[in-house]
Amino acid sequence: MKIRRVQFMCLIAILSLVFSFIPLSPVSAAQPNIGVLIYRYDDTYISTVRNALSAALSGKASVTMQDGKGDQATQNDQLDVMIERKMDGLIVNMVDAQAAAGVVAKIRAAGIPVVFFNREPDLNVLKSYEKACFVGTNAADAGKMQGDIIKALWTGHPEYDLNKDGKFQYVLFKGEPDNPEAIARSEWSVRQAVAGGVTLEQIGQTFVCNWDTALAQQAMESALAANEGKIELVIANNDSMAMGAIAALSSVGSNLEGGDRHIPVIGVDATDQAVDAINRGIMTATVKQDGEAMGQAVSAIILNMIAGKPLLEGTALQFDDSGVAVRIPYSPYRGKE
Amino acid sequence: MNESRMNVKNAANSGSEGFDSNAETFGSKWKDRLLNSSLYIILGVLIVGVVAAEPSFLSFSNLGRIMAQASTRGILALGVAGMIVYTGTDLSAGRILGCCAAISASLLQSVTYASRMYPGITQPLPLIVPLLLSILVGMLFCSLNAFGFAILRMHPFIISLGTQLIAYGSLCLYIDSQSGGAQPLASLDPRYISIVNGSFDIGFMRLPYLVIYLFLCAAVMWVIWNRTTLGKNMFAIGGNSEAAAVSGVNVTRNIFGVYLVAGVLYGIAAFLEAGRVQSVTTATGLNYDLDAISGCVIGGVSFTGGVGTIPGVLMGVIILQVINYSLYYLGVNAYLQYIIKGLIIILAVAIDVRKYIARK
Repeated sequence: MKIRRVQFMCLIAILSLVFSFIPLSPVSAAQPNIGVLIYRYDDTYISTVRNALSAALSGKASVTMQDGKGDQATQNDQLDVMIERKMDGLIVNMVDAQAAAGVVAKIRAAGIPVVFFNREPDLNVLKSYEKACFVGTNAADAGKMQGDIIKALWTGHPEYDLNKDGKFQYVLFKGEPDNPEAIARSEWSVRQAVAGGVTLEQIGQTFVCNWDTALAQQAMESALAANEGKIELVIANNDSMAMGAIAALSSVGSNLEGGDRHIPVIGVDATDQAVDAINRGIMTATVKQDGEAMGQAVSAIILNMIAGKPLLEGTALQFDDSGVAVRIPYSPYRGKE
Repeated sequence: MNESRMNVKNAANSGSEGFDSNAETFGSKWKDRLLNSSLYIILGVLIVGVVAAEPSFLSFSNLGRIMAQASTRGILALGVAGMIVYTGTDLSAGRILGCCAAISASLLQSVTYASRMYPGITQPLPLIVPLLLSILVGMLFCSLNAFGFAILRMHPFIISLGTQLIAYGSLCLYIDSQSGGAQPLASLDPRYISIVNGSFDIGFMRLPYLVIYLFLCAAVMWVIWNRTTLGKNMFAIGGNSEAAAVSGVNVTRNIFGVYLVAGVLYGIAAFLEAGRVQSVTTATGLNYDLDAISGCVIGGVSFTGGVGTIPGVLMGVIILQVINYSLYYLGVNAYLQYIIKGLIIILAVAIDVRKYIARK
């Protein structure tokens, strides 16, 4: 009997402890409340945007941020809560851009202004709500820049053609199978290089490694074992997978710091790790998605929307042809100047 | 509600209470009552805690949303619960749901969407066709699980681990077989979206259809568990399968029966989930099995077998969703959410198992 009572008291004690630890988002009347839905917290590039966004909004708005955990159903649940809490503005990084129609319908019914970023909803969906806009990049551009880098490597550098057959043999690491960015980067990197006069030949299948370092490392290890000495170039949809490929290459004595055997590896994102690898000479190049600029643009636009000002007031940004989307340019990174 | 707990184990132990003195019997009755309603107390404490932190939480629209969000996972949990009663589990439920959802969504893309999976479908299909197909596929996968468990005598953990991979592979192949490659299955038929996401007003609150579907499924499952031979034998097997077999229960047939019922539930849950999220990708259903299993366990379905109730499963799933929803509602740090959720699950189950320990 006594034990029961003790247990019950313990329950109450622990529960109240748990709830007292819950840091409440400060709700202030003066500042607008902005809800931010992120597709996944542990994505390296999105983390940069997330931090830039928090920094840009601090002091100007009270921000509630949620982690969609890579699951659209979870994100929908979180959106319900944000709408229920009557946020003044929403910033949404869709998990699955194709589900945007339902998301926009919910937000439209609540009449809350919304800025989508990174993953692009269909243009018609975006245009169906006058208080919606999109900040992103042009997915094909990252691929095209990779293509330009490949061309620059190939022209005037016969040493990269290991087997001297006049063809650049490459392996390709793709993000998720159905992700539009991954599809565009994979397609355009090769297309742009071919258009620039490089003869490319793919080794094996495209490795679909879900943007993941460990998966890419595994795939690269088996590709190296199966095609010894044949791989002359690694193209990856992002830096995390490029790092995995480099880890696999280093285990066969290639791409070591100060070593003499180097197979070019090209990524996208310019994560800190990749920039460091390029500076140390074990990676060749990456394409920078400017997360800082993205975060600042999103924050400026949502604040303008809430204040009822023209969306791009006080920024150097411009809408693209669609009239509802802003594109942040990419830039190539090939090492410290 | 208690009759389904009257399994072989408890029946054997019920005599021991006679040794208690009078005063203690009175105390233990009160205690039993408290323990029996521990789930409701936990839910109450949770809600009071959240309301204390954020008074606006207490609203009918929040209630409706929580129930609607719990619905598809709840239906999944109703299916998984039977397997846990057998001392088994099902790790493949989430991926099976993904597969069935892909089938429902692909057949119900709006006929005006140019890059739909089946351009041959130019007239909208009757909604029942994809629902039945989805149920059929759910039953197929579940019979694979049942075959491994009942005939091959594999542990359900292992066979469902295999089935999970098979279901995931099939889902990827199916989604990748579209003419445009692996695109998410979206742009669904408006009839479909409205029959899943619709709601009607009953005076003071808006009741989503999803909640009604959940309770319909639960009512049918309650009848199956408590009023049919299938259900009663299921508890006998879960309590002690050898004793059940000796007393003339056809164990294999019972297992297939329970798994096929689960398959039907998976199919229904998948059909509803695809309409609820309005887009199906290769990630659909990921970890839903774990949510369903934790819902069952919080709701008092014991991993040692032979114990569980349908209202318990419903409560478990709702408690889990209240935790989820309120953590979002309070705007708690995303990583802290995992820790708090973990703590609450451990606590809830720790208290709930008391009532079985108390009886032994």
